[in-house]
Amino acid sequence: MQIFEYNGSAVVAMVGKNCFAIASDRRLGVQLQTIATDFQRISKIHDHLFIGLSGLATDVQTLYQRLVFRHKLYQLREERDMKPETFASLVSAILYEKRFGPYLCQPVIAGLGDDNKPFICTMDSIGAKELAKDFVVSGTASESLYGACEAMFKPDMEAEELFETISQALLSSVDRDCLSGWGGHVYVVTPNEIKEKILKGRMD
Amino acid sequence: MKLDTSGFETSVPTIGFGSSSDMLDELSSVPSFDLPHTKEFDGFQKKAVDMLKHAKGTTTLAFIFKGGVMVAADSRASMGGYISSQSVKKIIEINPYMLGTMAGGAADCQFWHRNLGIKCRLHELANKRRISVSGASKLLANMLYSYRGMGLSVGTMIAGWDETGPGLYYVDNEGGRLKGDRFSVGSGSPYAYGVLDSGYKYEMSVEEASELARRSIYHATFRDGASGGVASVYHVGPEGWTKLSGDDVGELHYHYYPVPPAIAEQVMEEATAE
Repeated sequence: MQIFEYNGSAVVAMVGKNCFAIASDRRLGVQLQTIATDFQRISKIHDHLFIGLSGLATDVQTLYQRLVFRHKLYQLREERDMKPETFASLVSAILYEKRFGPYLCQPVIAGLGDDNKPFICTMDSIGAKELAKDFVVSGTASESLYGACEAMFKPDMEAEELFETISQALLSSVDRDCLSGWGGHVYVVTPNEIKEKILKGRMD
Repeated sequence: MKLDTSGFETSVPTIGFGSSSDMLDELSSVPSFDLPHTKEFDGFQKKAVDMLKHAKGTTTLAFIFKGGVMVAADSRASMGGYISSQSVKKIIEINPYMLGTMAGGAADCQFWHRNLGIKCRLHELANKRRISVSGASKLLANMLYSYRGMGLSVGTMIAGWDETGPGLYYVDNEGGRLKGDRFSVGSGSPYAYGVLDSGYKYEMSVEEASELARRSIYHATFRDGASGGVASVYHVGPEGWTKLSGDDVGELHYHYYPVPPAIAEQVMEEATAE
């Protein structure tokens, strides 16, 4: 098995009407063996910016720590939170620094920018940004996720409907992947609040 | 104004070969990419990751107890990381008193078990008596031995009831044939063995044995990524085999470990302007 499939992961982010949702699975495995069912793949950078990292779990944790460090420095210097577009550029630069010995993860960035306009993007492991207007996916279940999101996505969904859509897309996709699943973790972010939900999924 | 090249610096110092580390410290101030220290630049990462070849992706088990033979299996078929099916029949009915389990290549197991069924029937017709479990497993083992090295992938258990009582044999594509009381085959077998071995008693009743078998498969599907779907349990008694249960393991998890109902949080009401 490839190194990207060593731990197994699934991350997806979707855009709604002045809101966004980001979801991940909860499995941490070592190839086929499941070690934990509560692994945190999505992390908050600030109230309107989340990053979900798929791929090798150790790099997920290390890269997250580095990014939080850089964002805190930015907050000290600029006395404000980073915009999602800026943060995406920062992640891209940090990944390309390691071009010949890369972090083996694929980030999914989701945030609310100016005027609460939702912003999502994904990157490969060396920092190639891919912006999207509807949804982005990453992880071992990415092919299934592309199919499920393409079928279920509608533009301008409200927070409730967006939550349902992203949850169904995630659960149905990870049910076709041996290496991800064992529950789901969804964040739905609107300008005023962050709703965090744990999904009951198939534990096989 | 001095150009800010801090973006090129990395926080982790580059690891050198002992004495040359001093030289590398000076060099790190020059903007550059970190290059790995290896002779073979292309493909070094692939070699650095030493992956074990994973076993047949499934969980099957069978054990002999006072009431006969209990046979259980999951129902997932996986192609690498992709789940190709959640509803594969892994317990093959060779004839009304003998069962075979499937682990490894699905086509191989299905074909050779059907072939074994044909041979058993021919034996019955020629000898006017049923074939023994020992004889049937020997037929299969000899067939597989003749195809040794040609890439067949079969890890099967033949379970049945004949004149000598319950019989259980493990047969694999190397041509190996083992007689035993408890077997589990597949990538999920270590997890199944753990539950099976700790709960096993020869004097179990049929209900206890079927619950043990179901539980073992469930635990294997939880831990093993290549096992899942439906946990089927069959019992082989003196009258032949019967299917006892086929439970979806997704639902079994919440049956064994129900989610405690969450305490509803108090919602803060907005203060109305008066």
